[in-house]
Amino acid sequence: MLHYYDPSVQRYQPGKNDLNPDFDYGTPASLSEELVSISVDGRQITVPEGTSVLRASALAGINIPKLCASDNLEAFGSCRLCAVEIEGRRGYPASCTTPVAEGMSVTTQTGKLAKLRRNIMELYISDHPLDCLTCPANGNCELQDVAGTVGLREVRYGFEGENHLDAEIDDSNPYFSFDPSKCIVCSRCVRACDEVQGTFALTIEGRGFDSKVAASQNDPFMDSECVSCGACVQACPTTSLMEKSVIDAGQPEHSVVTTCAYCGVGCSFKAEMKGDQLIRMVPYKGGEANHGHSCVKGRFAFGYATHDDRIREPMIRDSINDPWKVVSWDEALEFSAKKLKGIQAEYGRESIGGITSSRCTNEETYLVQKLVRAAFGNNNTDTCARVCHSPTGYGLKTTLGESAGTQTFDSVMKADTIMVIGANPTDAHPVFGSLMRKRLRQGAKLIVIDPRRIDVLNTPHGGEGIHLPLRPGTNVAIVNALAHVVVTEGLEDQSFINSRCDTDAYNTWRTFIAEERNSPEAMEEVTGVPASKVREAARVYAEAGNGAIYYGLGVTEHSQGSTMVMGIANLALATGNIGKEGGGVNPLRGQNNVQGSCDMGSFPHELPGYQHVNDPAVRARFQSVWGVPIDDEPGLRIPNMFDAAIAGTFKALYVQGEDIAQSDPNTHHVEAALKSLDCLIVQDIFLNETAKYAHVLLPGSTFLEKNGTFTNAERRINRVRKVMEPIAGMEDWQVTMALSNALGYPMHYDHPSEIMDEIALLTPTFTGVNYDKLERLGSIQWPCNDNNPDGTPTMHEVDFPIGKGRFAVTEYLATEERASRRFPLLLTTGRILSQYNVGAQTRRTSNSDWHEEDVLELHPSDAELRGVKDGDWLGISSRVGHTVLRAKLSTRMLPGVVYTTFHHPGSGANVITTDNSDWATNCPEYKVTAVQVEVVTQPSDWQRNFVDFDKRQQALLKPAMDKQEENHAPAHK
Amino acid sequence: MSDQQLNNLIKMIDQIIANNLHQGNDDKVTDVAADHLHKFWARSMKQQVIAYAHESPAELSALAQSTIAKLEAVPE
Repeated sequence: MLHYYDPSVQRYQPGKNDLNPDFDYGTPASLSEELVSISVDGRQITVPEGTSVLRASALAGINIPKLCASDNLEAFGSCRLCAVEIEGRRGYPASCTTPVAEGMSVTTQTGKLAKLRRNIMELYISDHPLDCLTCPANGNCELQDVAGTVGLREVRYGFEGENHLDAEIDDSNPYFSFDPSKCIVCSRCVRACDEVQGTFALTIEGRGFDSKVAASQNDPFMDSECVSCGACVQACPTTSLMEKSVIDAGQPEHSVVTTCAYCGVGCSFKAEMKGDQLIRMVPYKGGEANHGHSCVKGRFAFGYATHDDRIREPMIRDSINDPWKVVSWDEALEFSAKKLKGIQAEYGRESIGGITSSRCTNEETYLVQKLVRAAFGNNNTDTCARVCHSPTGYGLKTTLGESAGTQTFDSVMKADTIMVIGANPTDAHPVFGSLMRKRLRQGAKLIVIDPRRIDVLNTPHGGEGIHLPLRPGTNVAIVNALAHVVVTEGLEDQSFINSRCDTDAYNTWRTFIAEERNSPEAMEEVTGVPASKVREAARVYAEAGNGAIYYGLGVTEHSQGSTMVMGIANLALATGNIGKEGGGVNPLRGQNNVQGSCDMGSFPHELPGYQHVNDPAVRARFQSVWGVPIDDEPGLRIPNMFDAAIAGTFKALYVQGEDIAQSDPNTHHVEAALKSLDCLIVQDIFLNETAKYAHVLLPGSTFLEKNGTFTNAERRINRVRKVMEPIAGMEDWQVTMALSNALGYPMHYDHPSEIMDEIALLTPTFTGVNYDKLERLGSIQWPCNDNNPDGTPTMHEVDFPIGKGRFAVTEYLATEERASRRFPLLLTTGRILSQYNVGAQTRRTSNSDWHEEDVLELHPSDAELRGVKDGDWLGISSRVGHTVLRAKLSTRMLPGVVYTTFHHPGSGANVITTDNSDWATNCPEYKVTAVQVEVVTQPSDWQRNFVDFDKRQQALLKPAMDKQEENHAPAHK
Repeated sequence: MSDQQLNNLIKMIDQIIANNLHQGNDDKVTDVAADHLHKFWARSMKQQVIAYAHESPAELSALAQSTIAKLEAVPE
């Protein structure tokens, strides 16, 4: 592509980040603060010391040809196309591997250089198929572009000699193919796998002419260690590694930058389109959360959006034993409104409620809680964050004054010690997991506190990590033991504590934590972790310089989840690891908008911005804008709604984008509650498990079909942009608005930006947020207000929202869910890379090729005791239920601990989890369930009933699906 | 109100109290527990435990009774 140079425009200013994310500058940016000036073809450019000549030239607007270089990879210097002449130096150095030096004078175009580059290209092309017109990369091929740039006109060597043109294509991966005949062995894919993804699955096998890219031990990609993140596909300058969707459909013709709707990393992607057809998702280099990287879910698993199972028209029925009837939007909304009003008239104002979605946008979540508070007239609103990160909200607000993580993701690159507690970043937050691994390869120390040996411990070249494999349910014991070491060995940051923390709270906590009963030695019997290991970990964390803590649901989903979050905050406060880059307390959020759904007032006791409903001044502001009184009492949380439903006092529920029947614990109890409802309204993209108990089914829209914003785990508000029309004609926020209007509470917004304006008006931490600013800045990390007009990357740098940091006493209490003779094993649950949450999206993509079913991982010693072999069917019984899964022997767990995932509804993982919960928030204790396992030969009763119920519900849906098929042109097919 | 619902509410109060015993004396413990119920429990849940405390106080621990009494005393 031709770039015009305008000397009147200052193209690059050191320190000013105004680079073009769509342009490849050849080598990574140097972070040096020292500046160096050079001349390139007579143009002066000043760049940070350590910048390559290739990058400096690109910044000056001069594009030197290159093939093996890319600005997300370290310089490699293999293709030699970027050769230049440098005054006073001999030969033709590669500009990618040559750093700038003060006063350097570089010439990029001479006759000799032109000849050299043509000769190189001639060699490349002599072993490359000349099928450009029928090649999938046609129109988007770097090799083709460089051939044009260097003026290649002939290949003097001919094409008859030995070559690789017949190399066999590897089609094993469902999403991309590897065609070695198109490979130029530039190593970009291998380096991307190493440097960007950190998996080291690819290598160059053989030497000289026999060199070729190989996955693992020359295995098919699908059988190799490849995790299908797409970094190699992204890096490939030819069509050797190419998306099958592009091979099938051709090159996309336009793109829209949007935000991934999978995990809480919130990666930015370019949705590359042909008309309204999504061809591929390409990670966007301008995305501050992912910097151009991706994982197998966000990069490839978008096919669910056009799946045949999509609900395309509203449906209603009087009873869950009736067939669904396709109706108009008006009829469905009128039916819903009539039911809701009738139930309130009969059972009272508080007999109905709503559940917001952590998968929907901020604007949609805001509207659902507004609907509940303003149109339903109560505070019975909750969100799926109840069952994941509600203890984070409670714990961090109590200690640090704000219900959010403190850092940017990039902050990890300044961490000297990284502590990962109850999280599995390489699987559940893969793009951040890759960044973490990059830092570990640079030498940061690693501490993992987890019953399982997670993959981040196996980071190649990352040094030895410290693994504290504690017994499930003993988190607080171990965090107290760590803090005990910090306090009693003089590792505290007294200056930080004195200046930034509440003295009385600190003194109380210090007295408590210093007691011998909290020492690693005293707690060893409880946690099962040797005291010496705990002491070593505490020292490594406290003496690190910058110590960063990352945690997940292994922290929150316990009976003391909130206590543990406070314990983590105590540890960070005591060591001064708050308010600076490289440190912090970082909850890794499971779903794309968990942070946002909490921020937007989904919890029953808090209006948007974590403002309590019993504060009259807060209510007054909302009432003045919403025009109705707001109840001053908190509403029901999700588990309380279930209890009230079974008791007969809670009769109707509106659920947007959340599958409580599959994801919430003690499935029998949840099913009983859902069956007790007189009206269940489900708004979703599929007939999920919850919808099988519903009376109204409102078609939801995927993230591709709407405008809005998501807020990721680093408080970053990112734009979601519509790339195709909503399948049923309405975006989710429009549906909520229409339901509200049908109920008689008027809502009128023409665009989600207007909803955000209302959020900004009412939420002190959002006052500076608007869509214009999001367009200008790309993304904003809240708080964004007069004090921080462009947002706040690092929280608590100067003070805390509560003034001083507050240490909290964190007494360890054993959970009531204990192993016994009858239930001698402890079950803990988690996620796998290829599947997402309840699997409704990923199960409808080829990601299931990696994970067709949930299995029960158990230690070989536990298996041997019970005569279990790999692949056996295992009956798993807890105090509340029984299910059957296939056995997988694994040494990842301690003996006595078993593990499964919950991605497939038929697995019934939550049939066995109990309704024990966190003392402060009712977040379920998913991570500790006492169980027994035994070899069985048939599914459980629940599983048989599940299959029957599913068949019956699918049959009741079928006529409606046939009808909607008739009504709908296959617009997205 | 079902037995199960009531049992859950009592279990929750006992859990809140147990996690705040470190506050020192019973008065502080029940202050904190009552404040927690006030801030986080729905009106109907509060009403249920208050009614139960009047009906069958013997079924509640002394600290739970005291907590509920303080909850009831919070001005509307």
